Amino acid sequence: MANLLWLQGGACSGNTMSFLNAEEPSACDLVTDFGINILWQPSLGMELGDGVQQILKDCISGATKLDIFVFEGSVVNAPNGTGEWNRFAGRPMKDWVRELSAAADIVVALGDCATWGGIPATAPNPTDSQGLQFLKRDNGGFLGTDFKAKSGLPVINIPGCPAHPDWVTQILVAVATGRAGDLALDEFQRPKTFFQSFTQTGCTRNMHFAYKVSATEFGQRKGCLFYDLGCRGPMTHSPCNRILWNRVSSKTRAGMPCLGCTEPEFPFFDLAPGTVFKTQTVMGVPKDLPEGVNKKGYVKLTGAAKAAMPEWAEEDIFVV
Amino acid sequence: MSNQSIKNNDENLREYLKQLLESGLETKKEPRAYEHQQVLEIIAQLQKISPDDYKNKLIIAGFTLSPYHPADDPDDEQACETCMYFQVHRKYCELPELMLPVEPEWSCRLWRI
Repeated sequence: MANLLWLQGGACSGNTMSFLNAEEPSACDLVTDFGINILWQPSLGMELGDGVQQILKDCISGATKLDIFVFEGSVVNAPNGTGEWNRFAGRPMKDWVRELSAAADIVVALGDCATWGGIPATAPNPTDSQGLQFLKRDNGGFLGTDFKAKSGLPVINIPGCPAHPDWVTQILVAVATGRAGDLALDEFQRPKTFFQSFTQTGCTRNMHFAYKVSATEFGQRKGCLFYDLGCRGPMTHSPCNRILWNRVSSKTRAGMPCLGCTEPEFPFFDLAPGTVFKTQTVMGVPKDLPEGVNKKGYVKLTGAAKAAMPEWAEEDIFVV
Repeated sequence: MSNQSIKNNDENLREYLKQLLESGLETKKEPRAYEHQQVLEIIAQLQKISPDDYKNKLIIAGFTLSPYHPADDPDDEQACETCMYFQVHRKYCELPELMLPVEPEWSCRLWRI
């Protein structure tokens, strides 16, 4: 049996909603098949007021063993470092977070806000928000660079806005069944099993990407969304086209650009007007090129790809 | 409309555009739309004209009959054939505000790769 506690800071509850939609395994499977005991969760916990406070105190004192602490949402430090803008169970949430993180075997930051600060930490960051162990790309965050949970692992980051439900439950199962040590993490402490490949990996528009055929409108079934509509699929690490959403689709498959929501910089360009759903260019060349590709190579590749383009690549091949 | 009709229409219109440009039509080939705001401004101008006002489309978009070479990087070549909006086999610009039959070696200031 692994005890799990889940709290929300500066959050919209999106990751909880996502988690409750999990299928492989489902949230119920975690309890019935994988021995996870949910001590409290904002949408599932039955306790209120003093009851919740007692659960938290018991976790901190060790009266209840805290195996997994999941935090969703940013750590709010405002105003003036007090955290008073986000109070929970009688005190600033950030105080609970620090003490619970120190008491837990495993700490999981769930969603962009908990991992990197996310939308709340976007400039000018009025809530003085941080992620648990990162603020955007900078390691440190609320718990600091050197933080390690009792298991010896740093915070396990599962980003996304929201994170895919199965990323969450599969990591929780791995942790609860004693396989946390098998999780390889990348430089941003994301499990590589999910975040080594790109959103583009498995995208149904890859042939259009290869031949440089651009989609010019949302929902268009032909064309790649990278060239004009701001898709970040080639630069974003996520399995959105390998582990499909609702088992059937993904944003890019549906004709909507990837926003890069698993990357620390999300939301990109601080949501400046004209930067969302529009590929940013410098002298006509995309500002952000597919990872590892330089400008010269990109221009050469485009010329060659366009020259080699077969006629069918310009037609809608997804016929109803 | 059949494929053949589209092709004929494209060819006729392309020839007409070519004649306009060859006759010395002054187009706004500079400044190039290198910044997003510039792109938006040019697009806004194109949206104000009628879809069949071909002459003004050429003028506003800054069409030329040959590739554009930026002064600060003469090796750089901006031609329709490498532009993201260029349909290779139809030889057609499918930027929604333009939608014009073009030639691969033509260029305009909305070029993006």
